[in-house]
Amino acid sequence: MKIALRVNGVLHEVDVEPRKLLVHVLRELGYKSVRVGCDTATCGSCTVLMDGRPVKSCNVLAVQADGAEIYTADYSDEVMEKLRGAFRRHHAAQCGFCTSGMLTTAYYLVRRGVKSEEEVVEGLSGVLCRCTGYQNIINAVKEVAGL
Amino acid sequence: MKYVGRPIPRVEDELILRGKATYVDDVELPGMLYAGFVRSPYAHARVLKVDFSDVLKTPGVVAAFGPGDGEPFSFAPGGKVRYQGEAVAMVVTRDRYVLYDALEKVAVDYEPLPAVLDINDALRPDAPLVDESLGNNVVHDKVYEGGDPDRALKEADVVVEGRFATQRIIPSAMEPRGVVAAYDGDVLTIWSSTQVPFDVRKEVAKALGLPLSRVRAIQPFVGGAFGSKLLVYPEEVWVATAAYRLKAPVKWVATRSEDFKTTTHGRALTLEYKVGASRDGRILAVTGTVYADAGAYYWGEGLADTAAQMLPGPYDIRHGRVRAVAVLTNKTPLSAYRGAGRPEATLFIERIMDHVADVLGMDRVEIRGRNLIRQLPYRNVFGITYDTGDYPTAFERGLERLGYRDLKRWADEEAKRGRIIGVGFSVYVEITTFGYETAVLRAERDGSFTLYTALTPHGQGLATALAQVLADELEVPMERIKVYWGDTAYVGDGIGTMGSRSITAGGSAAILAARRLKEELAKATEKLLGCKPVYSGGIFQCGGNSVTIEEVVKAVYRGKAEAQLTVEAIYRADATFPFGVHVAAVELDPETGFVRPLLYRSYDDVGVVVNPLLAAGQAIGGALQGIAQALYEEAVYDESGNLLTPNLAFYYVPTAAEAPRYEVHFADEPHPSKHPTGTKGIGEAATIASTPAVVMAVEDAMRRLKPGVRIDETPITPEDVWRHLR
Repeated sequence: MKIALRVNGVLHEVDVEPRKLLVHVLRELGYKSVRVGCDTATCGSCTVLMDGRPVKSCNVLAVQADGAEIYTADYSDEVMEKLRGAFRRHHAAQCGFCTSGMLTTAYYLVRRGVKSEEEVVEGLSGVLCRCTGYQNIINAVKEVAGL
Repeated sequence: MKYVGRPIPRVEDELILRGKATYVDDVELPGMLYAGFVRSPYAHARVLKVDFSDVLKTPGVVAAFGPGDGEPFSFAPGGKVRYQGEAVAMVVTRDRYVLYDALEKVAVDYEPLPAVLDINDALRPDAPLVDESLGNNVVHDKVYEGGDPDRALKEADVVVEGRFATQRIIPSAMEPRGVVAAYDGDVLTIWSSTQVPFDVRKEVAKALGLPLSRVRAIQPFVGGAFGSKLLVYPEEVWVATAAYRLKAPVKWVATRSEDFKTTTHGRALTLEYKVGASRDGRILAVTGTVYADAGAYYWGEGLADTAAQMLPGPYDIRHGRVRAVAVLTNKTPLSAYRGAGRPEATLFIERIMDHVADVLGMDRVEIRGRNLIRQLPYRNVFGITYDTGDYPTAFERGLERLGYRDLKRWADEEAKRGRIIGVGFSVYVEITTFGYETAVLRAERDGSFTLYTALTPHGQGLATALAQVLADELEVPMERIKVYWGDTAYVGDGIGTMGSRSITAGGSAAILAARRLKEELAKATEKLLGCKPVYSGGIFQCGGNSVTIEEVVKAVYRGKAEAQLTVEAIYRADATFPFGVHVAAVELDPETGFVRPLLYRSYDDVGVVVNPLLAAGQAIGGALQGIAQALYEEAVYDESGNLLTPNLAFYYVPTAAEAPRYEVHFADEPHPSKHPTGTKGIGEAATIASTPAVVMAVEDAMRRLKPGVRIDETPITPEDVWRHLR
């Protein structure tokens, strides 16, 4: 099936099998920052923004994303660069595997105007990190969110 | 200009934060083929027949390999599989989606055998045998002994006996294992999500009869390991062999459930103990047996032994006998998980201290103060020599700095308001660092320096820490140093990142290389200036003349003076011993048994701290893993050997919502190791210390509701708490 995706502002038209997952299409298009860490939509490493909402792209068929506007951790704008700076200063990434999912989720939280630490924690709880113990990630997001 | 000791953000982050770090699944090569494995649904079965006739007719299938294909395809050795998930065949296809269809088309006939899942069952004389050649299921049995434990037990005022069991942990690195291999007819290159590229290279070369010079192993970015990627796995050899035979690039990346069933598990040690103490709380003798539930193959050598030898911990116990026994079961093989035997040793001895304190009616701080080793160096009863430290001072100062007694008072106050808060602490001494490590340092003609390390960082930030260490030694700005790692083309041999050894072993190797390079450049300067120079701040000086380090390097590259511009240093790094005190507070909901970690505080004497930002990162992340061992995680099997926690939806890795607030402190007066870096290692300290601290905190909370309750296993789930309190 032919589908069209706009990824980080760039339009892609691709022919996909109906069973193909969005995460695999994105990775084949070169968006390697979208990572696969589980088969059960649990780990969140594949989280991207689809039409403004964070989704686990391993849990979305590519055909469901036809016509969607998608943002990945490769994206750059003022908020994303602020997040990158804060992640770096706070040492919020270790092995880096979950970091893309953390960044896209954090981007959503900041854009949405997250109001409290509790909301940050709850918002990030859909992405698993095995290295950091989360505190530095939480602190980085709070800083950018002005909390 | 000193860099060591400063909280410098990581140089690695640029790639990671832009999504540009290359993990093994991101390696793309033209004509890539995709490999997958047919895996046993049975925990124990004879493999009667593997039939490829259907799969080889499937479009897109390139090859299939099975038990009949000879070494190194060692599928189902001895004609049987020993754990659920063990591979029986391999299929190679042109497309990943085709691969998973194709795997379904391999027909395997199994004859199920009775499985043995529990070590007590495995030790029975009539138990099914995991490995028939052994005659029983005991694969390792060794006794560690010192002093006269029998006499000491006889003379003790009290003898305390008990048992403590730790669960199986699934290490759960966020990146599943994976391998890419490519053969161009000349060189076989392997990219693997591993901690040990040098071992991967050696094993693959040996399996295929190739010289090391024609095999190159590359460790790309690795998405976490925690000890679970420090063995060479069969898949690494099989994928490399497929690439070699097919003369094409082949990729295999485990699915999460495949990873959970085939990547080594950790912990799963049980201690049966009998200790003797005097009435005033001195532990006179520690005796017992550590059992390892080793799983189907004895890959985790030394886990029970480390736990046995470190069982005395930071306490002066002069008599001991501990037996280390490894028992085979039909489960995933057991191996290292962050700490590998030391977390268990610490958990066991800390539980023993509490048990003895309870029997004697003593305070838990007091009993530890009474038994702590007073004078370092100290040779423990099993012959391990702890190097430096001042345990009594660090213990007292740690408790004070972490506010232990204030927290206890706060918990009492909160109890009046109906909140059930428990406070616990732990004391540990940890053995880190072993073996040798290699550094290759090259002076570049523009005055920059390239370090090739044999370390294999996978999140620790060693490229940053090594640059800090080197910048201080070379007296140049850190920006002039670039660190490369994870490629056997750079360095001939080495060990890698594990066992909290990296900055101590690899950093010291880098320092030695820098010293050697400075000697070489001084030799060249002597030729250029005609006198013996003194080096300082990037400048060689003598006889009123001076040259910068880059001028000397340039002169050597142009043949005006002779010196080695690439030097190699191999550093032998003996063990060193961090010490620390950690404190945890938890809140218990008596209605549900649910326990929430509230705060976690650490005070560690790890010698020199190269980068406090990165060291704190290790402490915080390590702590949550140990907290999760205390409260959440467990690999559960049913009686047939089915893994009931085969993915992250069933196996409970904590989320941000479970994380406590952490505070990390390093000792006011650290005791450096004797290594050139003065470091002792920080990678595992908090994983080691956090489980016993949290267990004590939970017990403390439960005792507010039911005095005398004792925890004798991990994890303590809400159900366990509820059962205890009933």
